[in-house]
Amino acid sequence: MFSTKKTLVAASVATLFAGSAMAMSGNSDSNSASGEKIDGKYAANYEQIIRDADGKYLDAKVIEAILGKDATYGRDGLESKLDPANPYSFEVDDSIDGGNHGNAQCKIPAAFVEVHDSAKANYYNDSGFEARGFGTPIAESALEKWNIVVDGDGKGLPDPSVGMTVEEGAKVYVQYCGMCHGEFGEGAKGYLPLAVEENLVTSSFFDPAPMKTVGNYWPYAVTFFDYIRRTMPFWTPNAPFIGDAGYMGITGYIMQANYIPVDAEGTELEDDTFYNSEILMKQNKFMKNQGNFFCDHRPVIHNTRCMENCADEQVGDGKGDIHNYRQARRLPDGTPQYNVPQRMHEDPPGVGHAGM
Amino acid sequence: MTDKIVEKVAVQTEESRNQGRRAFLKGSAAVAGGVMFTKAASAADGAGFDPKKAVAPYAGKEEITEVLQDGAARKSLGFGVRKYPYGMPSPFEKEVQRRTLEWLTPDSMASITMTPLQSLHGIITPNGLHFERFHGGVPTINPDEHRLVIHGLVERPLIFTMDDLKRFPSVSRIHFVECPANGAMEWKGVQLNSVQWTHGMMSCVEYTGVRLSDLLKEAGIKPEGKWIIPEGADAAGLTRSIPIDLAMDDCFVAYAQNGEALRREQGYPIRLVVPGCEANMWVKYLRRIQVHDVPAQHREETSKYTELMPDGTAQRFSWYMEPNSVITYPSPDFKMQGPGKYYVRGLAWSGRGKVAHVDVSFDGGKNWKEAHFTSPVLDKAWTRFEVEWDWDGSEAFLMSRVTDETGYVQPPMPQMRALEGTNNVYHRTAMVTWRVHAWENGKNGGMIENVQY
Repeated sequence: MFSTKKTLVAASVATLFAGSAMAMSGNSDSNSASGEKIDGKYAANYEQIIRDADGKYLDAKVIEAILGKDATYGRDGLESKLDPANPYSFEVDDSIDGGNHGNAQCKIPAAFVEVHDSAKANYYNDSGFEARGFGTPIAESALEKWNIVVDGDGKGLPDPSVGMTVEEGAKVYVQYCGMCHGEFGEGAKGYLPLAVEENLVTSSFFDPAPMKTVGNYWPYAVTFFDYIRRTMPFWTPNAPFIGDAGYMGITGYIMQANYIPVDAEGTELEDDTFYNSEILMKQNKFMKNQGNFFCDHRPVIHNTRCMENCADEQVGDGKGDIHNYRQARRLPDGTPQYNVPQRMHEDPPGVGHAGM
Repeated sequence: MTDKIVEKVAVQTEESRNQGRRAFLKGSAAVAGGVMFTKAASAADGAGFDPKKAVAPYAGKEEITEVLQDGAARKSLGFGVRKYPYGMPSPFEKEVQRRTLEWLTPDSMASITMTPLQSLHGIITPNGLHFERFHGGVPTINPDEHRLVIHGLVERPLIFTMDDLKRFPSVSRIHFVECPANGAMEWKGVQLNSVQWTHGMMSCVEYTGVRLSDLLKEAGIKPEGKWIIPEGADAAGLTRSIPIDLAMDDCFVAYAQNGEALRREQGYPIRLVVPGCEANMWVKYLRRIQVHDVPAQHREETSKYTELMPDGTAQRFSWYMEPNSVITYPSPDFKMQGPGKYYVRGLAWSGRGKVAHVDVSFDGGKNWKEAHFTSPVLDKAWTRFEVEWDWDGSEAFLMSRVTDETGYVQPPMPQMRALEGTNNVYHRTAMVTWRVHAWENGKNGGMIENVQY
């Protein structure tokens, strides 16, 4: 398999060359690229450049004005787009990464200058604001009944004394969850499976989409507790007859079903382990897919607006052939039909993934 | 008496028919207004309106002789006022409705319907046709009992009644609202022959409400408050994490939609509006906004609404809807009527601002013609475009391509697929292609087919 990041870069660069006649021979670098630079790579006044261009931060000339023209960091070398210090890196620069085991955050891309300007005007610089007094004060303690948020750091979890053994949790799960999600989390009746081990890497674009479940996809274990307490059982969420102890037990059972370890040695949960918020937070560090998420780095495509005789890459099948198209699949008897895999029960329900 | 009326109508029809024929034979003008047209043409001294050209395409077409019978609408009284205290569309529009695909979800409480874009005009979606997306069914909430709370990292937690909210300064804006899974069924190839299915998980309406920045400032955000976590009052209790700068930019809490209260399906009594961003963030039945220091990392922003790439990594916090466009006429919902002139129209929108250009290709992306806008061009709203097309009756591949004010140019599908694979479910914003079958004397029935490169 290839690396997405490398592929993105290669494809972006390929696209740039494909769009060749980009009117880049101008002298647009006179206003900035030769001026002060951050890390020697991009113009320090990039925000101003974007503002001056009426927000056209994806315009070829604006990008060139910020990045310069040279092949290393210039527009031709969009590889620098993925550099941590680059304002166009929507991937790294815009995350405040808490590390592989922390609460990874993403920021609004720096290039969205109008958002930041507007927030400044509406908030940071609004020294004249005076409250209108239309609401009514309420004590934070009065809101405890409503406040069911548990965040990625585990704030909001119940006290460690609340919980039950994994085996007891399994019994609660089978009673209230198994009829829709399967007794072992394998899924049922079209509802989401919770513990199916599937490789997220696909070799062909036309293979069925891999099943994304708690074990192979979810980056945080605490999210699971928050979510099932918030929304499950489907017909009566946040059920008092399950209670925090019951929800904690269900969480333990599903973590065990997904073989989530409690430490770096890979120790797995035992049936008689008393499952509580402490063990949950230990497992929160060892979710298998946690390191595989990255912040929004769109746009990854920087096309130019071609009007006639466009390059083959932009025409038809991407090789210039407009007759090489794919049509909807047909049923075995030849009738054109839609969503054949779902109708023939080859695929579970869903828009390319299981359930909604 | 009826006989007399029929007789009279028949006579009138014959007369007007003859008049039209005479006028045409004389080669002077069209139908009844021939004299006036002739005068106008001569006044313009030969350079202006040519009445012959005005009627030329009608030459050789068979005349209609039997349609002018007055029916019940003309010859009897219609219904009186307040027959429908809340008005309904004509029964002849009964096919124009939200539709769903039962195989998408295992039940109807966590499902989606699509807006019939092929039947809409302009840029406003009627409230009854607004697409629906629920994670736990639609609650019927009494607004007198509903409250909005702002708390967490604030100086003073506050609780608001719906009347409190309406006391604040109001704002009305037209914005599109789009599920990021719009078009998701088309990642691995075409599935469905209708704009309703390919692009119907979105609508565009006028919202009225109170600025979120006004409400947040009212409670006093503490310096360490960097995120808000809005939460719904329904069975789904949906939560998302939104950075404070975005909340302070142009978000608002809406209580009205197209001039009336929100519909229950859209969050009655209040919902969050996050212009340009994916609809999952527009929390409905909003009852609580928790100001927080870190994102909650909840299910709707980790397990769902993240984009799986071919190498197994996934993109998260992809808030903005990328620029997108689609041709709504002609589309697979229609049949071509034979070679000739068509006014190809459709919708373009961008979550990053205004639409700058829309170009339309009739040859699969080789050559493009710029369309003009027939609606206002608004920030983060649908924009209606139109372009003239002389169809010669041969096979054609129609595509539309938007360029927004940031300079982003909508990519073709092969390019997006090569970069992002086919498993990421959300944000499939590449172009679609309508294949217009060759006319061949009507042999192919004027078929328009959704195909994919």
